Amino acid sequence: MVAPKKNSTLALIDELLAEQSRLQTPVARFAATHSNTRASTLTSQLIPLSLPKPGEQYAFEVDLDACTGCKACVSACHALNGLDDDEAWRDVGVVTGGTQSRPYQQTVTTACHHCADPGCLNGCPVLAYEKDPITGIVRHLDDQCIGCQYCVLKCPYDVPKYNERLGIVRKCDMCQQRLAVGEAPACVQACPTQAISIVTVITNQDGVLASDTSSFLSTAPDPGYTRPVTRYLTERPEPDNLLAADNAILRPQPAHWPLAIMLTLMPLAVGTEIAAVVLNAAHYPEPAVRKLVLLAWAAGAAGLLASVAHLGKPMRAWRIFLGWRKSWLSREAMVFSAWFGLATLALKFSVALPLAVALGAIGLFCSVMIYADTHRRLWRFSQTGPRFFGSALLPAAAAVFAFGFETKICLIVLGGATALKLACDARLLRPLDLADADDPLTPELHSARLLNGPLRPLFGLRIAAAVVTAFLLPIPIVTGQLPPWTAWFVFASALLGELLERHLFFRSVDAPKMPGVAA
Amino acid sequence: MSALDDLLRARTGAMTSELVQHPGDFGLGQVPLRLAPVGTARSICGFCSTGCSLNIHLNAAGEAINLTPNPDYPVNLGMACPKGWEALTPLAASDRVTTPLLRDRDGVLKPISWSKAMEVFCERMKGVQSKHGKSAVAVLSTGQIVTEEMALLGALAKFGMGIADLDSNTRQCMATSHVAYKQSLGFDAPPFTYADFEESDVLVFVGANPCIAHPIMWQRVMRNQRNPAIIVVDPRRTETAMAATLHLPAYPKSDLTLLYGIARELLARGAIDQDFIEKNTTGFAAFAEFVGAFPPERVLAETGLSVADYQKTIDLIARPGVRVSYWWTMGVNQSHQATRTAQALINLALMTGQIGKPGTGANSITGQCNAMGSRLFGNATSLLGGYDFAKPGHRSHVADILGIDEKLIPTQASRAYDRILDAVYTGEIRALWIIATNTAHSWINQGHFTRLRDKLDFLVVQDMYATTETAQQADLVLPAAAWGEKDGFFINSERRLGLARKVARAPGQALSDFAIFKLIAEAWGCGKLFEEWSSPAATFQILKKLSAGQPCDFSGIRDHTHLEDAGGIQWPFTPADADVITNDELAKSEKEQTAPSPAPANSSFEIRHSNSTQERRLFSDGKFFTPDGLARFYFDAPVPLPELPDEKYPLLLNTGRGSSSQWHTGSRTNKSAVLRKLSPNQPWIELNPADASRLGIEAGQLVVVRSRRGETAALSVVTPVVQPGQTFMPMHYAEVNVLTFPAYDPHSRQPAYKACAVTVLPLAEAHER
Repeated sequence: MVAPKKNSTLALIDELLAEQSRLQTPVARFAATHSNTRASTLTSQLIPLSLPKPGEQYAFEVDLDACTGCKACVSACHALNGLDDDEAWRDVGVVTGGTQSRPYQQTVTTACHHCADPGCLNGCPVLAYEKDPITGIVRHLDDQCIGCQYCVLKCPYDVPKYNERLGIVRKCDMCQQRLAVGEAPACVQACPTQAISIVTVITNQDGVLASDTSSFLSTAPDPGYTRPVTRYLTERPEPDNLLAADNAILRPQPAHWPLAIMLTLMPLAVGTEIAAVVLNAAHYPEPAVRKLVLLAWAAGAAGLLASVAHLGKPMRAWRIFLGWRKSWLSREAMVFSAWFGLATLALKFSVALPLAVALGAIGLFCSVMIYADTHRRLWRFSQTGPRFFGSALLPAAAAVFAFGFETKICLIVLGGATALKLACDARLLRPLDLADADDPLTPELHSARLLNGPLRPLFGLRIAAAVVTAFLLPIPIVTGQLPPWTAWFVFASALLGELLERHLFFRSVDAPKMPGVAA
Repeated sequence: MSALDDLLRARTGAMTSELVQHPGDFGLGQVPLRLAPVGTARSICGFCSTGCSLNIHLNAAGEAINLTPNPDYPVNLGMACPKGWEALTPLAASDRVTTPLLRDRDGVLKPISWSKAMEVFCERMKGVQSKHGKSAVAVLSTGQIVTEEMALLGALAKFGMGIADLDSNTRQCMATSHVAYKQSLGFDAPPFTYADFEESDVLVFVGANPCIAHPIMWQRVMRNQRNPAIIVVDPRRTETAMAATLHLPAYPKSDLTLLYGIARELLARGAIDQDFIEKNTTGFAAFAEFVGAFPPERVLAETGLSVADYQKTIDLIARPGVRVSYWWTMGVNQSHQATRTAQALINLALMTGQIGKPGTGANSITGQCNAMGSRLFGNATSLLGGYDFAKPGHRSHVADILGIDEKLIPTQASRAYDRILDAVYTGEIRALWIIATNTAHSWINQGHFTRLRDKLDFLVVQDMYATTETAQQADLVLPAAAWGEKDGFFINSERRLGLARKVARAPGQALSDFAIFKLIAEAWGCGKLFEEWSSPAATFQILKKLSAGQPCDFSGIRDHTHLEDAGGIQWPFTPADADVITNDELAKSEKEQTAPSPAPANSSFEIRHSNSTQERRLFSDGKFFTPDGLARFYFDAPVPLPELPDEKYPLLLNTGRGSSSQWHTGSRTNKSAVLRKLSPNQPWIELNPADASRLGIEAGQLVVVRSRRGETAALSVVTPVVQPGQTFMPMHYAEVNVLTFPAYDPHSRQPAYKACAVTVLPLAEAHER
């Protein structure tokens, strides 16, 4: 064989690299012929021929017997809507159960349920959600959204997803632009087995919500809250012991640090103002009390700043009053804004102080309601109320203690509030004693396992901080074993304890969702 | 008021615009405005063997910006699985290798030029060959590249570089079907067309989970209007088993016994096609006698099935006049007795005459997009075009077509993958060239391969990523252009040739595999041999000539454009077939004026209906590809599992596809954020609740899975989908093949991935021991 000429190899490399980078342009390509087949797939029988009548709306209908878990609907949603890299508005999960002789598994495709009474819409402080008066599609206004993510907490089906790039939430709009031109939504047109279709369902009769939720998925969160309209149909007998495949998987939730900070500082501010009012009433010298008022103002300012830092689009937040009719978040924002005005006035004019205290207490109540209104088990009123108001008493008492007023009363308040809060915590762990290892994960058990599992170190630290705050430090200070200035450590550990509690409040909540995959 | 409303409610704006849609034109429906195409190109998907056609949306520069499945293609009818939808994403991955890489003295892979890479490749490979003999270099190839590239690689390696051993990863998936068909029917010829899914009355799936492994084939099953009975033989209650009329959870690898038992019962009931057997097969008597040893008691005992299910199966198959089709995939192919199991299915089809007619057949569903191309043109076990290396006549015929010296053609087939690795172990093979496969992840008993690395003087890996487990071990990495960055054809499961198109630029200096092979030929000094192989299009013409006269004859296809225009073409497609089809089309266009033309006698396929040009099956005349035209019955007594569970390793580990969004070792599918979302991101193991509670394992807990070969951590998934005593792990995680037992089918040398003995422990407990 002839030895290769080096030059010929070099020339070939250049030639091949040039050829590799050449692309045929669409113009140069052989003109592709297009039949109308695609059009017939796009405008299939899988969408209604006419618009819904009054009292009706569009809904997804899923034929579970045809859904086999290929997940093409998810990819198609992503591709045909031009979504971000990891973004898709549909997901596929699995439910399993049955017996050894008749094992059962079923894949479940799921998107927004375009609820008759949407939690997202009801909670949005800026009215960034609209329910189309004709189609009933729950639509998100992307340019209206401030990125507060309250809808994420409000939706029991984990539908709205926060988009980091944009700083807003986005969600399924049932491809309303496609439906408007008689084309099926992306997921509908992409399903190889035609398992997904759009149907018309009744949601209202004589102006009263009348949606039938009996065809909703049995393993999904309770449809009574938001009245999802998606229909899941199957002719296969479902076993009684069906569970979502991801039922046993512990899912710590996002920390939302800015919110945790805000919800530590606002109660501190309000609590400190209460203390100031009490001390005023007890005729403490004005300059001393003023220190407390200043502390309250500073804590409030920092807390409100933190709450703004939580927003993906803070510049749009001026619209936050729009949702006041339904949204506790909107109400809280307005009340605390007004409170801040009064708190600022109170720095100069002590007459404003009682009014500020009243508004602050209402603000705190709104804060409690924001979480109670999500229908998340851990955040129910009886848990959240004592926690948030306890957070007003405890660090405020620690502050008063640090300033050196009424140490005995402070000790009693510190001890009492701490006992109250620890009782709340103990209640959270109770399900651990009641459940067996292979019991299904209820929301309470889920939170308990999170606190006892991945969150255990922080949970331990939180309890330690409480004990330090209430007992370990104050007693040697009162008895003179430690110098008085160390009382500020009581204040610090009280704040730390509350911050940790708030952190765990967010992390350990059971966030309801549609069934997911097992691992 | 409306101005105030506009101010208060921002219904439009930059973010809203991002999602605004626009009529896509080109028959596409609405597309995102910012991704509106200027044109489209059609391309066959490069993942699995279904062979779906994708409409690639192009911008003005001709670059792919999005895709939708092609509605006009007879395979996928406008649908695709998630991998197909995401086919473009892996091209843009940040870890694409953009220049050749050479491992330096410090063991780091460093960029070098192509000319340096060629110098090193030739110097080191020739060095090994001159020191240890030409056969000290071997090639491990793939079912993932286009046929023109496979053929050029096979020709270059064997005729140009004097390499004796070239095998490909199709050994891991399809070797069994290849051998089974070749022995039984005379040629590696899956007889079916996808329309058979729709035309069958009883579909028997053995070791196949098309719901997630081949969703677009399952689409065809769901389109079946005949209210079919679907029987699924699988130890797990898979998605497909759930969708079945009857699920037979036979004990792993007892399917051979089951199939022999069914044959016995059909015979006993007289539910066989005596006429077909006599006219078109040979050796049935011996088979009939053999299956006498499989009475129901034995079958039920060995498979663990219930009497009722077994009887119902036979009742369904034995009904007179029903069309029965048998479908199998890796559950059969990856077994220690794989070939005989595949042939047991072929035997059932033959003895009942259920082959060559609509809705029938013993049908192997293929794995990779071009496993079928590799089986015919890989130049590994068969000489290019399905010829035999050992036959002088075949060698001279091929040499004539290629215009090369006959002496350049080896006189025997390559050794199989496992034997090549054995030869590395013994030091006989000192250099490996691995192309578009991830041996270090996918090879059975993976630890063995890793230890072999030190025995190699030189390891070259040619891939689109330098981050695969195998490329990370290479001395030299050659950067390859990917699917979508080059032209060429694939052959799908139903023998359909389809064209994949270049719609994106390869990153940096990456070159198509075709170009790399051309370059190596030039640098090696054998470029002259391949002058005619100037481009994939020119190579297509060579392959046509090689196919002529073979069962896989496609010499009637004009060129790449013809393939594209026809919506893919199934082999055989002889010039005579081309005439029939031209006539048929003419007849169609003049249907009112002229009577339909009768199918000429020399046509090798059945004209089914007006769609005949698009969906065709083999053997409608009952003539097989054996020298005497008669099909054969192959059978052997079942053999016990090579590694049975015992006290120390009490559980049986099955492996397989974990989700529809993952492809094999994940080198491509892991690059798509959407696909990653659709599958667990860590290895998991399915355990039956009874085993889990006995072992003290909770769902969602980390466990250690241990076999005699190694151990790995996995997340426990407790589910009755697996039977007690059995476990399942998806194959997409590198850890899984640390465990698998190196058993092979004796005829196909395909590894038996689906059964080994393991023990599972909670993570904490495993650390104590």
